[in-house]
Amino acid sequence: MTNPRLTEALAFIKARQNPDGGWGYGPGRASLVEPTGFCALALHSGGDAAVACRGRAFLETCQQGSGAVGINSKDAGGSWMSYAALLAFHGMGATDAEDRLKRWVLGFEDASGRFSKEEISIVATRYRYDASIPGWSWTPRTTAWVEPTALFIIALRKSGVPASERRIQSGIDLILDRRVPSGGWNFGNPYSKSFELEASTMSTALALAALGAADVPEGRPAVRAGLRFLADALGGDISTASLAWALMALKSFTSGAARVAGVTARLARLQADDGSYRGNMFETALAYLVLSDAPILGPVQGGKR
Amino acid sequence: MSRPGVTRREFIRIAGTSALAAWPAAALAGAPDQATKRTDSGPLLQVALVPCPDYGPETLAAAIRTGWASSRPPDVRGKRVVIKPNMVDVSPDRPIHSDPRLIEALVLHIGDLGAREVILAEGTSHNRDAEDLFRRSGYEALAKRRGIRLVDLNYDDVAPVKCANPKAVALREIILPATIATAEVIISVPKMKTHKLAGITLSLKNMFGVLPGMAYGWPKNVLHWNGIPLSICEINATVKTHYSVVDGIVGMEGHGPIMGTARKAGVLVMGDNALSVDATAARIMGVDPARVDYLAMAHKIRIGSLRRDDIGIAGGTIERVRTDFVLDPEFAQLRASRGLGE
Repeated sequence: MTNPRLTEALAFIKARQNPDGGWGYGPGRASLVEPTGFCALALHSGGDAAVACRGRAFLETCQQGSGAVGINSKDAGGSWMSYAALLAFHGMGATDAEDRLKRWVLGFEDASGRFSKEEISIVATRYRYDASIPGWSWTPRTTAWVEPTALFIIALRKSGVPASERRIQSGIDLILDRRVPSGGWNFGNPYSKSFELEASTMSTALALAALGAADVPEGRPAVRAGLRFLADALGGDISTASLAWALMALKSFTSGAARVAGVTARLARLQADDGSYRGNMFETALAYLVLSDAPILGPVQGGKR
Repeated sequence: MSRPGVTRREFIRIAGTSALAAWPAAALAGAPDQATKRTDSGPLLQVALVPCPDYGPETLAAAIRTGWASSRPPDVRGKRVVIKPNMVDVSPDRPIHSDPRLIEALVLHIGDLGAREVILAEGTSHNRDAEDLFRRSGYEALAKRRGIRLVDLNYDDVAPVKCANPKAVALREIILPATIATAEVIISVPKMKTHKLAGITLSLKNMFGVLPGMAYGWPKNVLHWNGIPLSICEINATVKTHYSVVDGIVGMEGHGPIMGTARKAGVLVMGDNALSVDATAARIMGVDPARVDYLAMAHKIRIGSLRRDDIGIAGGTIERVRTDFVLDPEFAQLRASRGLGE
């Protein structure tokens, strides 16, 4: 760990654990799966196993019999936040919970199978993407989008699922299909009728991080255009979470390496006096993990196509 | 996108009609009764129509004072007031979001009236990077300047509430942000815009943004699969908007709500019943509100009234400020003929 202030981030997280073992997005707020997964991972990575284990236990209370994990323990349906639980279960060695969740994620049903041929044709005309490609949605049985697809690809790859796995390949196809023609990604609509919609930094960073995790070559035009968009975006104002995801994306590609040091320093400068990032538990843990080069968010080792 | 194209519209009509048939007005007995507030022998509902040519602070302050005084505003004294703007995205080139200068004038007005707390709260629909959008929209600077809380509803603490529609399926239990659930007064401040999926978007549609993305996704896709008109009605029948201020100073026409072009109407539309405000704003845009699926549905379940005879207009005539907005060709049938607006 090169930045001594990172320990202050851990202290901030540790001091704000809820009695149920989880964390909300803000201090003292109700525990949710995404912030809990990342806070537990950060503490585990930082060597505070006991506190991290209480976070893991909270996540286990959120897991349903089907293996699904929702936004909290009351959410029986499963949701996008389960990507964070999968990362945490894997990173903390909760093998049984990880395996059950992995099976649920790989069997996740989006809306691609619900669209009729006519609807798929209309989408292709109006929004210029292929709605028949399965990916991941924010909630089951709704339309798949770029960001949840990227998050699940990242979590599956970090937990050892090979890039050649059918659902990951399909997710890659979806991300590539939804790219904005002039570069980058938005939430998932490249066009609206004749209008090209603008890319956004967070969507682009997540898409690139997922493609990198899935070993998609950086020579692919979509990747090159995405990296160009990200480089331009980094020239302006950028949010904390987008900056952290951008750093992860840059570390995933050789051509991004030149920017890593600068973005690392920029993200580090956003840390507040209390050790947090904007007082947000999730962002603090995310920043800690990417700045400390924690393996769980680092480049995927092995299992490549 | 939601359910697509022609099929989507057919789906909306089918889903909406069948759901409505099973959703009598009496079903709203436990919900806020928003259509039976006749206080005298005058019109059932009151809407203020205030000419406002620009976003200058003095112009806005005067317009809000005038509109507030000539409508039936809520009593905000000692209350926690939540202002819900419309910010589906932010662009330097297109007027997508409710103008922060208008929001600021409203914050000052409510503060002068003695509100205990004013909160600016939004749950963005497409781009979930609220830190970025709050900054680029000017809302973050406004909140700092005026010392009010700025809340990202997408990640707020949540509480489930029972939907007012007993036949609801996808929204049987509506997950609400705590900021909305505990608000004593909710003020919706939409932009006057056309909408590629709903025809137009005003106060009722603006309430899509109160549902948290962490539960409903981005772009709140559960609501699209549930049918846009039905979702709008289920949300608004369950969560009462106490007052609406439509930003029609500069709106958006054409391919809204994001890719359209600026259209100056030079008007604020204000009132306590969101449906009547929307119906009036629609008429100003040259749209027959009865032809807008979700407004017709909202009228039928008595969220309010869109009938011209039920709405008293203060401050002028619709015809005087009518500014026909260019409609998406798919919604050309919404256009009102001259005279319908009155």
